[in-house]
Amino acid sequence: MSATASSAAAPFVRRKLPAAVRRRRFLLAVANHSLLIAAAIGFLAPFVFVVLTSLMTTNQALSSGIWPHPFRLQNFVDIFTKAPLWRWTLNTMIYSGLATLGLVISSVPVAYALARLRWRGRNAAFMVVLIALMLPPQVTVVPLYVMWAKLHLVGTLWPLIVPNWFGDAFSIFLLRQFFLTIPEDYLDAARVDGCGELRILFTVVTRLAKPAIAAVALFSFLYTFNDFFLPLLYVGENSHNWVLSIGLAQFRSAHQVQWNLTMAATLLVMAPVIILFFLAQRAFVEGVTLTGVKG
Amino acid sequence: MSSSSTAGTGAGIAAPVLRTRARRKAEWRRRRLVLLLMSPWIAGFSIFFGYPLVMSVYLSFMHYDLLSSPRWVGGANYAYAFHHDPQFWVAFRNTLWFIAIAVPLQVLFAFGVALMLERAKRGAGFFRTVFYLPALAPPVAATLGFVYLLNPATGPVNTILGKLGVQGPLWFNDPQWAKPALVLLALWGIGNTMVIFLAAVLDVPQHLYESAELDGAGWWQRLRWVTLPTVSPVILFAVVFGVIQGLQYFTQAYVAAAVASGQASQAGDTLNALGYPEDSTLFYPVLLYQWGFNNFQMGYASALAMLLLVVSFAVTLVIVVNSRRWVHQAVPR
Amino acid sequence: MRKRTAAAVVLIGALVVAAAATARSVQSSGPTKLTVWVGWSAGHELVEFKKLAKEYEQLHPDVKLNVVGGIDDNKIVAAIRSGTAPDVASSFNSYNVANYCSTGGWIDLAPLMKKDNIKASLFPSAPRYYTQYQGKRCALPLLADDYGLYYNKKLFKAAGITRPPRTMSELVADAKKLTVRDKQGNIKVAGFDPVVGFYENTPDRWIQHFGGAWLNAKGNSAIGTDPAWAKWGTWLKSMVDWYGYNKLVRFQSQPIDEFTPSQAFETGKLAMNFDGEWRVAFIKNEHPELDYGTAPMPADDAHPELYGSAYINGTIIGIPRGGKNLDKSWQLVKWLTTNSHALATFSNGIRNVPTTTASGSSKEIQPDAHFSTFIKMFNHPKSGTSPIMASGNAYTNAVQRFFQGWQAGSVKDLQSGLKKLAKQLDAQVAQAKGGGGVP
Repeated sequence: MSATASSAAAPFVRRKLPAAVRRRRFLLAVANHSLLIAAAIGFLAPFVFVVLTSLMTTNQALSSGIWPHPFRLQNFVDIFTKAPLWRWTLNTMIYSGLATLGLVISSVPVAYALARLRWRGRNAAFMVVLIALMLPPQVTVVPLYVMWAKLHLVGTLWPLIVPNWFGDAFSIFLLRQFFLTIPEDYLDAARVDGCGELRILFTVVTRLAKPAIAAVALFSFLYTFNDFFLPLLYVGENSHNWVLSIGLAQFRSAHQVQWNLTMAATLLVMAPVIILFFLAQRAFVEGVTLTGVKG
Repeated sequence: MSSSSTAGTGAGIAAPVLRTRARRKAEWRRRRLVLLLMSPWIAGFSIFFGYPLVMSVYLSFMHYDLLSSPRWVGGANYAYAFHHDPQFWVAFRNTLWFIAIAVPLQVLFAFGVALMLERAKRGAGFFRTVFYLPALAPPVAATLGFVYLLNPATGPVNTILGKLGVQGPLWFNDPQWAKPALVLLALWGIGNTMVIFLAAVLDVPQHLYESAELDGAGWWQRLRWVTLPTVSPVILFAVVFGVIQGLQYFTQAYVAAAVASGQASQAGDTLNALGYPEDSTLFYPVLLYQWGFNNFQMGYASALAMLLLVVSFAVTLVIVVNSRRWVHQAVPR
Repeated sequence: MRKRTAAAVVLIGALVVAAAATARSVQSSGPTKLTVWVGWSAGHELVEFKKLAKEYEQLHPDVKLNVVGGIDDNKIVAAIRSGTAPDVASSFNSYNVANYCSTGGWIDLAPLMKKDNIKASLFPSAPRYYTQYQGKRCALPLLADDYGLYYNKKLFKAAGITRPPRTMSELVADAKKLTVRDKQGNIKVAGFDPVVGFYENTPDRWIQHFGGAWLNAKGNSAIGTDPAWAKWGTWLKSMVDWYGYNKLVRFQSQPIDEFTPSQAFETGKLAMNFDGEWRVAFIKNEHPELDYGTAPMPADDAHPELYGSAYINGTIIGIPRGGKNLDKSWQLVKWLTTNSHALATFSNGIRNVPTTTASGSSKEIQPDAHFSTFIKMFNHPKSGTSPIMASGNAYTNAVQRFFQGWQAGSVKDLQSGLKKLAKQLDAQVAQAKGGGGVP
């Protein structure tokens, strides 16, 4: 209940709520906060344990101790000698980088055509995009694998990268939602100035849509960074081209009892994403709200 | 492209004819533009969606291991799935369980946390970050972390439970607890859904609450009659999204089974680990992967894929059709 | 704007170049490079194979070997499918021989063998059986495994047991004596862990000692009819129940992973273990101080004639389809599988059983009291192996899954469960052959 500040000259006396109501409100707030704190502990605890374990010695990680005794930062150096983490990171960067780039380049025009141009079949096309969004990738994975196998590209990163250069349903959806909010006036002004439609797209629209494009790029980077199923399928058999997600899963099986090293590696794999989040918070939140609220 | 008004209206040609021709030219230019802009998606859709879909149907009637050419077997793959594959119904039930139980739990939990955040005046930003962070953890990393945490003998969770006098369950090694453990992992990562809910809940117009309060509505009634209806489109979105994710659920189940079983043994075929323990984590996509890429049977995997397609369609259809019943249409503001 | 575009172009270019570099490189002139994929990866095993590879390179300077370890059947099949198969591939077990041979994924070696006058009779019967399918021989055995009982002599002495058990009831009695529990009832030292899925406990290795048959005369599954399976199942469950299934799972979830120095038998947490002959080399490398003995696995009380026999399986090696250096690959395979010196050296290194009758009696084999048990078992007339089925390892996996459910208590009726399993297995084989569910 907000007290409306009166613009009248007469002094505004704020009615005090009865003590019982105030007390109840206070207790509810306390209860709410306690729940929040409990939930926060629950959410943070796994991180804390992973960090603690990554600092333990091998023997201690095998026992049920919780606090490292001594602290072993050496683990983070060791994992680089035990596993080709740099190679995996490079592969992940190649995959995520090229895929995100292609995705943005190919999805923007499509989203624009679906949002701002009027043509017959536009709604039907959008429906088809939505349908593609809803289907599990497992439905098409077998023939796609056959196709890539026949092209002798299984074992390389190309089957992962190339499809992203042909538009991605989710990004198209997000960008379309955003493009719908651009006022027609901006575009009309550009048209009057003699800009062709393509020029408008490349200059005006793209500049206006920077936050949305940033959000889409961020999401796509995250998605490809976290991708496990498709890399497992296509580069699983060629350890030279493993990405971080595969490498991490295999690290565990290669260094079975060394949970401290596995947790250190796990932490290192989580780190880039979390750092990226703190650097690009606004883009994150923008993107997330784009998906849901206007849905 | 250029509007019809700039078309030449030179002398000698009748104006109406010129306008039509100009309009048709503009029409044609516009279609060409649309085609150009849509071309990546059209190509991509045909190559990476349309063609595989058709091929999937075709392969589902074949016996195909990619080492020799496909062989027609008619409905044999489907017959095997429905009548003779002991794992088919298990996988089907597991995925259905996940959709029916894990998805509502996730939505409820995300919504509840969002409500709590909305009420919190102080430190909301901090809490929001804390709740969102786990959603950023890569699925493989998060699963590894949880398998370690929930190790029955030496994991911190059971150690702490032991100190409290409770003998912790076997978590990822117990068929009764493996799926709940995966649900816990999923709840840990609801950050994205929660943020969407938070935005939606914060968007509810204050005046609706005020008028409800004037009418004497208590906390629960305000929730039931103001918040929920206004937020219902977002709830629907979260449910649909959750169901779509549930139908593709693979990574966490695969990694959890591989790691948890790898601890216990390497006996026989290590690739038998999928679904550990006792097929409790054998979800439908995992089964599909196993048949297509472990057992050399792409024809059968295609049949499984076709069934997945049908079920996905049916489930999404059911949800979307029913949505009209309880999703409150947005009130114009 | 220009500078940013230029920077972006450079970055993209770098990424593309890096991506292209991940593609396989073109072979240059010089010694022929052969890629060899093997399953070994743990500890000393891959090192030993690489030593052998180096020896071959010295004998054949026109060949350079690129050895890749840690390979499993999945990877081999994926590579053959995508046309990127290695020149020589080897698999840890024979389960998928049917697939490799019938599809031509691994080429038929018979014509090559005929040309070089290599007779199949060089190999003992079990390895000879599991490297071919329906007359097509697409693989040759490269050292074999057999399985027996490892027992901790120190713990035996402490418990007053004088000799290793020879029958299943003796095994149970000894296990109970050797088991130590803590105050909460959790297992500290297990006398014996029979849980299917733990370490090397699989149905095909166990049923050997109960005398069970896999197939009947018609080639259908005998699991529902041969009483040995039910007998083993009942025996298994009674022992698991004595420990408590959950207690065993908890024991197993400790960090006692099998191919690490923390393995339970090597660290004294497990007094007796059903394990393969390679464990001898692991113990020598990791825990040489361990006071242990090896013996044949006990046999079912009703079948004392089985005592001394063992389940045999082993590494197979072949040439995948699509290889470019057929001749040189075959020379390598021939050397690895038939040269007595190579087999003896490798056997000494990883303590696997040599797979030609000639190398088995080679003077180069270093004598070892522990290891000689396994060589004796390998030559026992009643030793056997599992059938090669069209559905590959899915066949034995299905049996394993059933018994895992049985031992945990999820399957209530053993006999009817076995009958259902037999029908499922037959349907599975028919499906793998390509033709529907019912044979």
